[in-house]
Amino acid sequence: MSKMAASSGRALKSFVQGCCGCSSVILPSIARNVILQKPAVTVLARLVCTSSTLQRKNIAAAGPEKYTQEFIKKQIEEFNIGKRHLANMMGEDPETFTQEGIDRAIAYLFPSGLFEKRARPVMKHPDEIFPKQRAVQWGEDGRPFHFLFYTGKQSYYSLMHDTFGKFLDIQKYQDSMRAEGLFSQDTKQVNLIGSRWMIKEELEEILVQPISDHDCLRFIQLLERILALPYCSIEEEYIQRFRRALEVQSKKQKIEPLQYDENEVAFSIGEGRRKTATATATVRDNGSGNITVNGVDYLLYFPVLQDREQLMFPFQFLDRLGKHDMECKVTGGGRSAQAGAIRLATARALLSFITENEVESMRQAGLLTPDPRVKERQKPGQEGARRKFTWNKR
Amino acid sequence: VLPVRWTRYNPYYLEPEPSREVYRIPVTELTDEQKAAQELKAVRPIKATPSGLTSSVFSDPTVSKFVNMMMEDGDKVLARSIITQTFESMKRKQVEKYHKAPATEKEGIECNPYTIFHQALENCKPIIGLISIQKGGKYYQVPTPLTDSRRRFLAMKWLITECRDNKHRRTHMYEKLSQELLAAFMNEGNVIKRKHDMHKMAEANRAFAHYRWW
Repeated sequence: MSKMAASSGRALKSFVQGCCGCSSVILPSIARNVILQKPAVTVLARLVCTSSTLQRKNIAAAGPEKYTQEFIKKQIEEFNIGKRHLANMMGEDPETFTQEGIDRAIAYLFPSGLFEKRARPVMKHPDEIFPKQRAVQWGEDGRPFHFLFYTGKQSYYSLMHDTFGKFLDIQKYQDSMRAEGLFSQDTKQVNLIGSRWMIKEELEEILVQPISDHDCLRFIQLLERILALPYCSIEEEYIQRFRRALEVQSKKQKIEPLQYDENEVAFSIGEGRRKTATATATVRDNGSGNITVNGVDYLLYFPVLQDREQLMFPFQFLDRLGKHDMECKVTGGGRSAQAGAIRLATARALLSFITENEVESMRQAGLLTPDPRVKERQKPGQEGARRKFTWNKR
Repeated sequence: VLPVRWTRYNPYYLEPEPSREVYRIPVTELTDEQKAAQELKAVRPIKATPSGLTSSVFSDPTVSKFVNMMMEDGDKVLARSIITQTFESMKRKQVEKYHKAPATEKEGIECNPYTIFHQALENCKPIIGLISIQKGGKYYQVPTPLTDSRRRFLAMKWLITECRDNKHRRTHMYEKLSQELLAAFMNEGNVIKRKHDMHKMAEANRAFAHYRWW
């Protein structure tokens, strides 16, 4: 309905010529939702002076742009057809064309030099581009469908209502077991290891409705109350819907396979960065602990003891001090940053030589995390990142 | 050691453990707490080790913190050299004492500068501290318990300020520091006196202890 009014308003505007800020609107009889008044006297065309600012729609007040179901469906059809066209263009099979193939094809056909990755051309499924929105909650007569509509957060309160219903079901089951005399405390418990409760953002995604931290906390507390009951395994699958698996961090490390050079000596290359310094390290097997940095011996390149300790750290941690040779190139940064970059590069190169348990212990020792600390930028109106200008009374 | 203010790391990251002994313990001999901690570490990302620490037996986190506190204008080379010279001079003095002492007292003399440093720091740590609380327009010094990190910080701070202020302009920093550390090891010296003064003030202001509401 609002769209029809807008279009008629635009039609009205294009109908009438505005004259320098003040547009005179002559009410025509063609407009559909304008009620014509028929006074007893002859109808005079009234000259109504309004300014263009009043006629302009308040776009911000309408809220976020609403998409209809048909519009989204049409977008999905277009996306699928476009995917098949792309597959034909790239010479691949349209049936088995994945999202990665689409990304590669778009990057090839529309090369962009923009630094901001989010500004580059993208072709994704419409579900990922258009945000999920609620369908209209009330019928033609204006009466809402859901009984909790007037709470304001209907999906959240209906979820709490359902969950508490499950709680009462479990209690009823308990009472029935007690009546039959089959009640026992040690029943099958829900397995909570390796998973965590959902966070507020994930809950918002499920409910398609913004909720507060307090709401999320209350919901988790209710679920924990259910878990405290002895017969909670009845509603296990309902509860598991709200748990997310915790990924084991050590699986995320990328371990390159060992490479072999002409003399059958195993070597591995690693890269590391710290605070504008980049380093590439080559760690060779069957060595005697020589370290060469940019063609120079490490004793000459790093006269400070602390930097040499950092170079030795990965080897010393794995007990392989005199067993490997290391050769590295490093640019940028200062003395300490270059040492940190080489440390990360050697740790990553050594991953190819060691067992999984050692990889995990290296990760827990902090050798495999790139240090995110960089120099904080200076802000306008201040002398440095934190230091303010000297305060003057006048 | 918890960070103050905001950090570049997500609060989800855990602190690293660079020493090797923790990873040498076989799985069967772990206590329940250690097992729970290991399981937590397996699923959480870990921060990078700072460049002052390594896994070698020679690196000590307390000494590293002391070096950082002594550092001025980011000159860690100078701070670290002062500390190494301090330890060297402490060792020399103790070894001299050891050789001059009769055979009965030889075992009582501690020569390892690191143990002397740790023991001296332990002797300098105050047990109770004072906090300024405003009540009825006036500020009162209220006695309060201190956390471990605060106690360690106060001990180190007192040592450093003492060595910077109350020394003759011709004596080097490392000399004065070694004298203070050896005195603190024997429970004498200005820093120990300052700690006792703090305790006496706390005892004197005992009446105001109920002004603290936490």
